[in-house]
Amino acid sequence: MRDQLIQYVSLLFAGAENCEDIRQEILQNTLDRYDDLVAQGKSPENAYRQAISGIGDINEILSGEQTFTAPPRTSEPEPEADTPTKKLMRAIAIALYILCPAPLIILSQFGLDNLGLCCTLAVVAVATVLILLGRKNGSEDDAPESTASAQAREVPLSGGQELRKSIKGLIGAIGLAAYFIVSFATGAWYITWVIFPIIGAVEGLVIACLDLTEGN
Amino acid sequence: MSIAGDLIRGHTDAIILARLLRSDSYGYEINKTISSLSGGRFELKEATLYTSFKRLEETGCIVSYWGGSGPGARRRYYSITPTGRQTCRCLLEEWRETKDIMDKLLETEEET
Repeated sequence: MRDQLIQYVSLLFAGAENCEDIRQEILQNTLDRYDDLVAQGKSPENAYRQAISGIGDINEILSGEQTFTAPPRTSEPEPEADTPTKKLMRAIAIALYILCPAPLIILSQFGLDNLGLCCTLAVVAVATVLILLGRKNGSEDDAPESTASAQAREVPLSGGQELRKSIKGLIGAIGLAAYFIVSFATGAWYITWVIFPIIGAVEGLVIACLDLTEGN
Repeated sequence: MSIAGDLIRGHTDAIILARLLRSDSYGYEINKTISSLSGGRFELKEATLYTSFKRLEETGCIVSYWGGSGPGARRRYYSITPTGRQTCRCLLEEWRETKDIMDKLLETEEET
């Protein structure tokens, strides 16, 4: 019973930092009380219970003391990372999608059909990039039952993968815009398709560079 | 000891200082004395006791030191300082006044 009492007090202070002195003092007082109660003829169980109830609310002390670490909560920083910035990004992207025909319509009034189309596509590209960057951490939304452990696995992954996806999207969108701009500007549709393999190559190169830097 | 307990607990600092005025002591011993002086009707929780010790130490009313008595037992003893003596006198004076006022107030209430 005495050992259990020691264990109980240790558990009370588990997670509290720099509280060794307090723990020892309260443990000693509690053990003294227990020994006293047993010496008075109380059963060990009763003495144990009474000694524990004599401790009172330990948070009273700890809240006034140094930081009390709450282990489980801090380990999941914004699992549904739907920050205001991301919301704003998505909103702007949608607005851009709606407004994308505007340059085409306006510029065609001045006979600048090609430029208008290019602007429209550029706007679409920007909107797509914003959607990609501002997207929720989708994979986690799909599996709500996977809790802390799954998220813990997800966090180191998503850092690199998220970046990779974003970069891929960015390169793809820019490449597409470049294809149309170059094609319309030069009219050389028969050859401009080479941009697509180039995009693929650039993507591969960038991802490889990322892998390399992260591997170190 | 519901209402009375709360009333007494409000004077924890004074009670501890009054105990230490007699001799240096440690947590459980003080609590035991409190318990026996009150005829087993009142006792402080460890947390309350400790919070009070800490407060008194911070205000310079008491100082603490580690001392051992018996095998393996390492106890934190508390000792009253001159500041503590003065505070204790003030608190005692305050209590006498409060008691005086309360006695008069409650007496009057009962008579009317």
